[in-house]
Amino acid sequence: MSLLDRTQQPVSGKIRQFDFPEVQTGPLPNGLNLKICVLPRLPIVSVNLFLRAGEGSLVEGRAGTAVLTGDALEGGTLKRSGSSLAEALEGIGARLGVSTGWEGTSISVSVLADRLPEAFALLAEVALEPDFPSVEVDRVREQQLADIRQRSMDPSALASDEVSRRFYAEGLPYARPQVGTESSISSVTRDQIRGYAEACYRPGSGGLIIVGDVDPEQIRSLSGEYFGSWIGSSSVVDNFRVDAQTRERRVWILDRPGSVQSEVRLGHVGVARTTPNYLPLSIGNLLLGGTFTSRLNLNLRERNGFTYGVRSRFSFRSQPGPFQVSTAVGNEVTASAVREILSELESLVIDGVTREEVDAARDYAAGVFGLHLETADQIASRLNQILVYGLPDDYYHLYRDNIRSVSTEEVTSAVRAHIRPDEVQVIIVGDAESILGSVDALELGPLEVV
Amino acid sequence: MNQLAIPLERHCLDNGLKIVLSQDNTVPIVAVNIWYGVGSRNELPGHTGFAHLFEHMMFQGSKHVPKNKHFELIECAGGTLNATTWFDRTNYFETVPSRDLELALWLESDRMGWMLPAMDQEKLDNQRDVVKNEKRQRYDNQPYGDWDQRLQALIYPKDHPYHHPVIGSVEDLDAATLEDVAAFFSTYYVPNNAVLTIAGDFDESQVINLVQRYFGEIEAGAPIPPLPGDPCLEPIIGDTVREHVFAEVPLARVIMGFRIPPYSSEDFAVAEVSRALLGMGRASRLYRALVRERRVAKGVVTYAFPLLTNASMLLTWATGYPDSTPEQLEAALTEEIEALAEAKQSEVDRAIALTETDLVRALEHVGERANLLSMFDLYFDDPDRLNHEIDRLRAVTVEQIRDFATSQLGSDNRAVLVYEPKRKS
Repeated sequence: MSLLDRTQQPVSGKIRQFDFPEVQTGPLPNGLNLKICVLPRLPIVSVNLFLRAGEGSLVEGRAGTAVLTGDALEGGTLKRSGSSLAEALEGIGARLGVSTGWEGTSISVSVLADRLPEAFALLAEVALEPDFPSVEVDRVREQQLADIRQRSMDPSALASDEVSRRFYAEGLPYARPQVGTESSISSVTRDQIRGYAEACYRPGSGGLIIVGDVDPEQIRSLSGEYFGSWIGSSSVVDNFRVDAQTRERRVWILDRPGSVQSEVRLGHVGVARTTPNYLPLSIGNLLLGGTFTSRLNLNLRERNGFTYGVRSRFSFRSQPGPFQVSTAVGNEVTASAVREILSELESLVIDGVTREEVDAARDYAAGVFGLHLETADQIASRLNQILVYGLPDDYYHLYRDNIRSVSTEEVTSAVRAHIRPDEVQVIIVGDAESILGSVDALELGPLEVV
Repeated sequence: MNQLAIPLERHCLDNGLKIVLSQDNTVPIVAVNIWYGVGSRNELPGHTGFAHLFEHMMFQGSKHVPKNKHFELIECAGGTLNATTWFDRTNYFETVPSRDLELALWLESDRMGWMLPAMDQEKLDNQRDVVKNEKRQRYDNQPYGDWDQRLQALIYPKDHPYHHPVIGSVEDLDAATLEDVAAFFSTYYVPNNAVLTIAGDFDESQVINLVQRYFGEIEAGAPIPPLPGDPCLEPIIGDTVREHVFAEVPLARVIMGFRIPPYSSEDFAVAEVSRALLGMGRASRLYRALVRERRVAKGVVTYAFPLLTNASMLLTWATGYPDSTPEQLEAALTEEIEALAEAKQSEVDRAIALTETDLVRALEHVGERANLLSMFDLYFDDPDRLNHEIDRLRAVTVEQIRDFATSQLGSDNRAVLVYEPKRKS
C-alpha cells in the first residue's frame, strides 16, 4: 500500500442533489392551513397545531396570558382531568408539547405511527376542549412565578431580561420578558384564560402540520373529523410599534455581587423576519458571530482566551427583535472583551466583509440546511415558519439556491444597514466593584449601575 | 411497533480500531463519531479535569491540520461538530454532507495519529483559559452549579474514580503541562482504545477502504492501564449521608442520589425503568404527586447515570416554591420513592411506551445513531444492542421494580444534598 500524502486535504465528492421534501398544502374550509409531509424513514409522526395566540399582541397588564393559557392546557379537558390526560397520552407513548412565543402558540404531539389516530384525537381534545380547572391554573401560575424568581438569580437570564428592558421603549411588548411580569401574571384570572382560549384558539390563519410516516388520505380524514367543525378566527393582530429606547450608546451594569464572571450583551433593536435583507444579513451574522470560526469567536476565545464562547444573533420576529452579541467572560477581562466586541462590530461595518468569508458562510448555511431536514420535528418547524411569517410555499425548495446567490456586496450593505456600533446598549451582569473602573475607562457613553 | 432494524456492519483494523458502519441513504448527510475509552475516571490524583482539557486540545490542530482548521473545514463543508468528555469516555463527532465524508475521516485520523507535533505551550495556555471560563460559566457562576461535585463526593468514596467532577479543579488545571498532554495522548488516544462509527449516506463499496486508508497506518498502543484509585465499592452506601448547603440560590432544592448497579449489569435495566416510573413524563409518580397534586415542588428531575465502574447512580431532585421548606421536599420525595415498592404494571407499560417514542425520535438523527452505536460497541462490544434496547427494558418485571425500590432506594443507600437560600441578615 502506498503511503497516503496527509498534507493534501481530500477533495469533496460530487454534491448529491436533495430537495426539501414534498408538501401537500391546502386549507380546510374553516381556514385552518393543512400541511402534510410524508417521511417514511422511521415509524414516527409529528403533529403540530399552530394558533395565532402569541404574547406580542397582549397589552402590558395582560402580559403572560398566552403563556399561562398554553401551560394550563395540561390541566385537563372537558372529558378528563389533568392526570388522566397525561396517562392517556403517555400510555400510547405520545409526547405532548406546548410552546408559546411572541407570534403564537404551538401544540404538538410526537407519537409512533401506529398510535397516530388516538394521539390525533387527544391533541384535538386538548386544543378544542380545554377545561382550565382553577387548581391547575393556580399551579401553573405559581410555577411561572417561581420561574421568575429563579431567573432573578441566573446571570444569563438576568442579562436577557435587561436586553429587552434597555433596547426597547418602555411599555412595548418586546421590552418585557416573554412570559410576562410578576404583577401581570399575578393578576390574570382563570376567566381571562378561558376567554383568551375561546377568542384566540381558532382555526382561521392557524395551521395544522403533520410530518412523518403517514398516509395523507388518512390525515385528511382525521383532520376533517376532529377539526372540521371548529370555526372562527383569532382576534389577534401582531401590529405593534417597535421603537428603540434610545439611539445613544449607553452602558448598563447590573450589579450581581460575588459574580466570578460577567455576562455581557451588546446590541440594539434589529429587524423583522420579513426584511428583504434576511438572507444577506443572516450570512453577515454567521461570519460575525454565528459559527465557531466567526470573527468574534476566533478573537475572544481562540486568540484571547477570554471566554468559553461568544455568539451574535438577530432574533427575527414578526416585528424587529433584538440584535445582540452575547458572551460570558472573566471579571478581569470584562472591559477588554467589550472593547474587542465593539471593535469587531466597527470593523465589520467600516471595512465590510470579504469574498472568502462570504463564500465560507454561504457554504456553511447551504450545507447545514440539509443537516436539519432529518427529522419530522425539524421539517415541521420549517413548515411552521412558512405559516407564521407568510413565506411562499416554495421558500425552502429555493432556499439553498437563494443562499448561494447572496453576494459579498449585499452582505456588506446589509450589515451596514442593520448593525450600528454607535447605538449599542452595553449590558453587563456582574460584580460591579471588580469591573466598574475598567469598563468606565472605555468611555463608551453614559454608564449606570443598576 | 415492530422490532427496530437499524442496519450495521462491524470491522476491526489491524491496529485494533473498531469500526461500525450503518447505512441510511434517505438524506445525503453522514455522521462520523469516535468514542475513546478514556474519561475523568482515568485521571490521576492532582490531574482532575485533564481528560476534558485534553479534549479541547484535540481541536488545536495536528501535524497536517493547522489550528482552527478543523472547525473551519467542517463548517465550510456545511457540517456541525463537537466533542464531550464524561466519566468513562470522550467522544468526538461531526455530521457533514455526505460528499465530505473523506474530509471528516482525514481530520479525525490526523488527530488520532499525529496530534502531538502540533502542540505548544501557547495553545495549552489558551485552552486552559477557555476551560476555566467554561467552568465559571457552567458551574461557579450558576445557582446550584456545584451540585454534581457535591453529590458525587457523597455517593463515591474519596479514592473512587467517580469521586471528583469531570470539570476538575482550577489548581489541577493550572498544573497541567505539555508533558501531561503527550503522556495522556500516548496512553489513551490509541486506535485500540477507540470505536469509529460512520452512519448515514455513504458508498458501501468504498467506505471501509477509506477508513483503512486514513486510519490503517496509525500504530496500535500499549494495553490501557488499570484505573487509578480504588474502584471497588459496596453496592449500597450503607447509610443516609447528607450535606446541607446555604447558598445564593433562589429556591430550596433537595437532591437525592442512590448508588445503583453499573450500566454493565443486567440490573441496570431495572434501575432505568424504575427511574422512568418516578420521573419520566407528566403521569410519572413524582410529577403527579409533588408537582400536580401536593404542589410542594415546582419541578422534578430524575436520571439514571449509565456508568461502568462498579456502581452507577440514580438521581432525583425536587425544586421548591418560595415557601417550600427543604424538610417538606425531602419528606415528599422520600415518601414517593419508597411507594415505588407498590408499583403497578400499567406504569411500567407507560414508561416503556414513552421510552420507545423517545428512542425512535433520537434515531431520526444519524448523529445520534452513530453516537449510540459507538457507545454500545465500546461499552458492551455489541452495537446491535441498539436494536434490542426496548426488549431489554420490556423484560423488566413489576416485581423487579418493587424489589429494587426496597433494596436500592431505602434509607441505607441515600445521599441527600440540600440547597437552601442563604438567609438575609
